[in-house]
Order: sequence, then structure tokens, then C-alpha cells
Amino acid sequence: MAPRLLQNFNGGRAHIVTSSLTAVEALDKTLGKLGVGVVYPALEDGRAKIDLGALQPERDILFIDGDLDNPVALDIDAGAHQPPVPVIGLVGVEAPSRLKHLINLGASAFLRKPVQGGAVYTALFLGINQFLLRGDLRARLDDMDRRRRGRRAVVKAIIARMNEAGVDDDEAYEWLRRESMRSRQTLEAYCEAFMTARAGPLDEPVQLRPAETRAERR
Amino acid sequence: MSKHFRIGVMFSTTGPYSVVPRSMLNGALLAVAERPAPGITIEPVIVNPGGDLARYAALSREMLRDGIRHVVGCYTSSSRKEVIPCFEKHDALLWYPSHYEGFESSNNVIYTGASPNQHVLPLVDHALATLGSSAFCVGSNYIWAWENTRIFREAMTARGARVLAERYVAVGDTEIDQVVEAILEARPDFVFNNLIGTSNSAFFRAFRAACVARGIDQPRAIPVLSCTLSEPELEEIGTEAVDGHLSSSVYFSSLTSPANDAFTRFYAETFPDGPATSADAEASYIAMKLLILSLAETGTDDVEAVKEAATRQHLLAPQGEVRIDPQTLHAYLTPRIGISNAQSRFDLLVEAPGPVRPDPYLVQSSPRYAVAARNSSLRVVK
Repeated sequence: MAPRLLQNFNGGRAHIVTSSLTAVEALDKTLGKLGVGVVYPALEDGRAKIDLGALQPERDILFIDGDLDNPVALDIDAGAHQPPVPVIGLVGVEAPSRLKHLINLGASAFLRKPVQGGAVYTALFLGINQFLLRGDLRARLDDMDRRRRGRRAVVKAIIARMNEAGVDDDEAYEWLRRESMRSRQTLEAYCEAFMTARAGPLDEPVQLRPAETRAERR
Repeated sequence: MSKHFRIGVMFSTTGPYSVVPRSMLNGALLAVAERPAPGITIEPVIVNPGGDLARYAALSREMLRDGIRHVVGCYTSSSRKEVIPCFEKHDALLWYPSHYEGFESSNNVIYTGASPNQHVLPLVDHALATLGSSAFCVGSNYIWAWENTRIFREAMTARGARVLAERYVAVGDTEIDQVVEAILEARPDFVFNNLIGTSNSAFFRAFRAACVARGIDQPRAIPVLSCTLSEPELEEIGTEAVDGHLSSSVYFSSLTSPANDAFTRFYAETFPDGPATSADAEASYIAMKLLILSLAETGTDDVEAVKEAATRQHLLAPQGEVRIDPQTLHAYLTPRIGISNAQSRFDLLVEAPGPVRPDPYLVQSSPRYAVAARNSSLRVVK
């Protein structure tokens, strides 16, 4: 199921990373109307002073000015471009390199500078909900990957059950599915546990002897 | 020497929803006709888009190019949204005097009508406390009804109540029988109505007639609740079906206060042919009044100066104290719920103790997440 749409941003906190404060006056004003607090992290040597570890995806939103040169070192999930909190790009110079930089930071919505008040709710709505959607898709992909890896155990468990109970593959699968539900596990996890439990005892451990003993034997 | 200001006044006084805008025009002109503010004279420049959406932007452009900086006008939300880009481009100010669905706050608009936290949310609470927990929604097929119904539905769902169905008809459509049949089949505890204009009066007449034919005491069995219903619309419905309808509004002409007595008396004297005064007429009066006071205070029609001056005004309006919230440029207004009587007026049922802060984005009162439209389809099978 797709995540529910967030529509009320009251209590949120926007970190606006920019050096052109006049371009974001309307952004600041409109965020206030929407119940979103605003902070302007200081820029030191081109880097914004933000405690990235303290950001909370439920509360914080990053507005990053694309005209600045890499002002925030976000820990981005490279495959999915998923930042830790929603990122909304502030677009000044509309050059591909600048836009690519914002995409690489995981921006899920954009606002043109100077920001117009009428565009802010849409950008927040889009940016935050796209962030939630991407996070949800990421989680679903991870789940699919895990299940794909567990497929081998399912095949083995079906064959084992067929041999053990003298049933066909459909019946074996049904039984495994029912048992997995009964034990409140995914089918894959249950089949892995099933195969592990059925595995025979390991071979006797080999006793290593001192080297000279081996030499004596020669 | 007094300064002369030309003010645009733009209402569709002809067309499919002309009754309320005619009362709005009267309200705005009443403020001009009242004892003028010292040091200024006001010349209203009246235009009529005739309910044609395309005419609004063209007329706005003409007025603004002609040097007018302030326009009191628009009734429907679609017309307001149509003209806002024009006001933003020319950096002029629209004084929008009607209750609306919120989720907007242009820096080039002063909103003197009610925000959703001042009309629809009080109505939901009142309905659930007194009428029941299932509603059938009807509305005109445009942004006002869509959004107001969404806000209503989310508020209902959040309180554990149910919306049984939603039906929309085109603006101006009076073929309403199918909607009436659907309501009678669903038998909700009440109807939430967002119809406007001729569709609205056609609905009230058809619904009452269908109920009478079935022996249903409509006002008590399936009452109709609106945020749009005002006195001029009651007069349009006609005597057969006019009584027993609930309306959530910041103003009723029957309010008893010296300010409202003076307002209604002056209105009746100035416009003896009607239409009756209404919440939107009062909002238009408030808009023009605030504008005139701000022009008198600043001595200029510069938009920034007037806007700032407007947020400093405290007006003793017919509904009570009114002021503009500097953050949202929406008005502090007093929510009320009334029930219509046979004289096409409202009897006051409940009212807030004082003006309520506008919350156009419902940041203080709406659920954080959008509520799913349907209730769960899961049911117990064993």
C-alpha cells in the first residue's frame, strides 16, 4: 500500500541553506503561515553548519540553494538518491550541472529563485510526499531482495516436504505456507528455518595433530 | 484638498449565480455611501463579468492598466484563482469578500470572508453533536465544493463519522432529481450542501417536494446543512421549502447589535429592491470599509502601505469585531450557526464567544495525513 499523503506540515522545521536571503523572503513568510519554523544554518567556508545526525525525517526539511557549491554533505543512499530528510532544491542558475547536483542530493521538489509564495505549499506537498514515497519504495525493494534471496530455501523446503510426506509440490507448498502463517513468519524465513532444523548433525570435527607427529608417521 | 481614489468593484451581477454577488455589490457600495473618511474621496469603478470566467482576468487587466490599485471583488473561488496572477503581476491588491475553502494565501489578496476553520469545522462539530453521524454530500462541480467537501469528509472521518456519498452537478444545472433520489435511498442523518446559484434553490425545492410526497418531515428527518446558504438564496428558494435549513456563517442579517441594526437599516433604505443582505454582502462591506480606512490613514493607494495599514484596523462590523491577521491576510471572524425560518431569515442557534483566528491552511485543526476517502471495506465474515 502506498504511504498516506502528508498534507499538514504544522510543527515542521525548515533548514534553508542559501546565501541570498532576499530570494527566500516569500518562502520564509509562507512557511510561517503553514506552521513550519525556519532556521538559516550559517555558512562557513562554503559549508552549512547543520548537525546532520540530529535531523529527523518526520520534522526536518532541507531547502538547498543549487547555486552554492556543495554546501551540505548528505549521507545519500547512492542507488536511490534517498537523503535522510526531504530535500527541496532552490533553483537559481538553471544549468544542467546545478540541477544534477540537486538531484544527487536527493531533491524531490524544486522552487525557482526568487521564491514566489504561491509555489511553496505545492513544493512542500510534492517534496515531502515524494520523499515518503521513495522511502516506501526503497523498503519494498529491500523486502523483495530479501525474499528473492530466500527463494532457494523455498524450493529446497518444497522438495524436502514432498519427499517426507509423499505429497505433490502444490500440497507441499500449501503446507509450508500454512505453517509459515501459523508461526507468523514470511514463507522464505520459515523455509530457511525449516531447512536448518532438518539439517543433519555436522561431520565430526577433524582433530589436528602437532606437526612433528605427522613427521614421525612419515 | 482631499485625495481622490478610484476603486475597482467586480461582481457577476448577471449570470447563473448572480443573486449573492448583487448583494455583495450593494454591501461594497454601502461602505462607499457611508459618511466618507476625512481627506479622501472614493470613486467606485463597477464591472460585471456576467459569470463568464474568461471575462474576470480581462476586466482585471483593464482596470489595473488603467491605474486602479485596489479591487473589491469575486464571489466564486474559480474566478478568484483566475485573477490572482494578474494582481500579482501588476502588484495590485484584490479584496476578496467571500467565505471560501482556504489553502491559499496570496500576498496580493486580503481575504475578508470566512476561512474553513470559521465555517465548515464548526458545522461538523455541531452536526455530530446534535444530528447524527452519517452525511450525504452534494455540491456544484468546481473547486469550492470539491475542497470544502474534502475538508468536511476528513473532519468527519477523523471524528469517527461517515460520508455515505458525494454528488456534484454543473454550475447552473437545475436537473437535480437524480441527486434527490440518491439521498432518499441512502437516508443519511443529514445532507452537507455546497451547491451555488440556481442549482442550490432548485435542489432545496426538489428535495423538500420529494420528502413531502413520501411523508418525510425533511427538516427534522434529513436536515440540509450548508456553508453557502445566505438570506438572498433563501428568498430564491421560495416559501414552500425555505424553512429548517442549517447554515454555518459568520453573519446573519437577524443578529441583534447596534452595528448590525444600523447596517441592515441603511442597507434596506439604500437598496429597497434587494436582494437581502447576506454574509458575503457584509464581507464586501467590511472589505470596502477596511480599504477606505486604510487609504485615509496612509493617504496613498500604494499596495504595501495600504496592506500594512489594513492589518492595524479594528473594525466594529455588523457581525462584531473584525481585524486582519498580518501573517495570513485573512480576517478574524465570529463563527455562528443559524436555522432558516419561513421569513427567509435565520434564527441564531449557536455562536462562538468572540472572533476566531483565521487558519486558511487548517494547520491547527486538520489531520496530519490525508484521510482515505472510503471507510475500510473489511468486514467480519465469521
